[in-house]
Amino acid sequence: MSSYYFTIIGTNDTPLYELEFASFKLGGSGASQVPGKSQFSNNVKEILPFVTHSSIDLIEDVQWNNNQFYLGKVDSFYGLSVNAFVTQGNIKFIICYDNGNGRYDENAIRQFFMETNELYVKELMDPFYSVNDALTSPDFDLRIKLLAKKYL
Amino acid sequence: MPEDNIILPVSASMSKMTIQDSNKSQFGYNPSIGASSNEITPTTSSILLNKTVSLNPGVSKSINKKAFEVSLSSLSFLFCEIVNWSHKKSKGIQDLENRLNGLGYQIGQKFLELSKTREGLKYSKREIKIVEILQFIHSTLWKGLFGKIANELEKSQDVNNEYMIIDNCPLVSKFVNVPKDYGDLNCAAFIAGIIEGALDSAGFFADVTAHTMPKEGSPLRTVFLIKFDDSVISKEEQTVQS
Amino acid sequence: MAVYSLYILNKAGGLIYQSDNDRHPGVNKLTANDYLVLAGTLHGVHAITSRFTTSMIHSHDPNTTNIPASRLSGPNTNKSGLQSIETDHFNLYVFQTLTGIKFIVVTSPIPTTNLGRGELNVQLELANQLFKDLYVLYSDYVMKDPFYSIDMPIKNPHFDSKIKQLIN
Repeated sequence: MSSYYFTIIGTNDTPLYELEFASFKLGGSGASQVPGKSQFSNNVKEILPFVTHSSIDLIEDVQWNNNQFYLGKVDSFYGLSVNAFVTQGNIKFIICYDNGNGRYDENAIRQFFMETNELYVKELMDPFYSVNDALTSPDFDLRIKLLAKKYL
Repeated sequence: MPEDNIILPVSASMSKMTIQDSNKSQFGYNPSIGASSNEITPTTSSILLNKTVSLNPGVSKSINKKAFEVSLSSLSFLFCEIVNWSHKKSKGIQDLENRLNGLGYQIGQKFLELSKTREGLKYSKREIKIVEILQFIHSTLWKGLFGKIANELEKSQDVNNEYMIIDNCPLVSKFVNVPKDYGDLNCAAFIAGIIEGALDSAGFFADVTAHTMPKEGSPLRTVFLIKFDDSVISKEEQTVQS
Repeated sequence: MAVYSLYILNKAGGLIYQSDNDRHPGVNKLTANDYLVLAGTLHGVHAITSRFTTSMIHSHDPNTTNIPASRLSGPNTNKSGLQSIETDHFNLYVFQTLTGIKFIVVTSPIPTTNLGRGELNVQLELANQLFKDLYVLYSDYVMKDPFYSIDMPIKNPHFDSKIKQLIN
């Protein structure tokens, strides 16, 4: 059962939203845990923001040569993989995940990002929200979690 | 001025939360706490699995709904008030133009993302070249905002970092008549702000200004002069080389 | 029907816009001051004549009247005051908006050769259509201009050129 750390990074490299979760799909043994609760160890939890942050430079190197929204896997760090997505407005969606039992679906991550982008744009239409504000809306949080459950 | 005493929170401060702010609804991210503010708990996990929560129906609507039409009259009256409001607060013509530009800027930031998403991310590409983003603004963005594409898109002959988008009759200033003593004020500065917002957030930092250049038959013809930052030009040259 | 002149009066009777047909002047030009006096006089006459008839209009029961409903509603609120002046050399029509702005046009007279009841109505219809078009131009190019303040003289080249197109 893989765990994920998802972040939305604003144009000035600050996090606008973070979420730690695990795959909701039941993965064999770990039935005793709360479904969806991330299984990162405390040591890993601490470095996740740093891994994410250090990948920003790599994304910025790639984003001007690659005209896709989804950039695929951009970095890896001791068993953690980092995939990224950049919107037209330079908002970065970054997901770090441990590739526990080797099961991960590139397409699922892409789908997750695509729908997250749509949610983000809807949030952007809120007149009380302006670019680079933190995404604190409970509805947004709930919907992201539903997407996580659906795809990852 | 009495109306200035009422201080509304700017939109940014509305999302400023402290560590004490707890989320009553079980959901919601708190930037002061970080990822542990919205971690998945047994309660939220069961809500997610059993879907025992109602979603905001407004957000469920499809984003791809084709743009519907707005009456030109109501748009013109709204724009009329926007200009009046900015005019009342401004100290001069330049200041008025800057204010109009600033109002358009946020629209540009947001509308860029919206129109790109509407285009469908699966089949479209992220614009990473100067000419491509300009074409996108000139056609897709313009069409979404004004129902038509802009009339011309040109590159300056003399200056390397200058481009021009030309509209023969900018929709918002169709009924605006600038008095003679206002010099070369152009209320399409609002649209210039939209372009600037869109370009800036796409990573192409630029200054955009609106200039009236009447032509036979179109007295309101407006040139939006786009002056890119040097860093944008050098970045583009680098990627071409590599 | 040729339009000779157009005047727009604010609700206090001040002349805020004036335009003449350049190709068929029809009537002589007056001095700027005389136009103001003319506007003020027409405004006054209109006000007094409406006091003449106001009781009649109001005592009318809308169900029994034979005035067509389209005339009762419609943009023209000039129901009780001076509506037209007909002379051998020109005709003059008055239109009033809901807010008391008056449009006054001076037109060519009805040709004496085929003067009849029908011709009179045709001319009135034409004048009404003209007023409708003028009202639209006024609402578009004057009311939607952020730099125009209400009841002040209209100095707007876009409006000017549209008016010229309409009356020439």
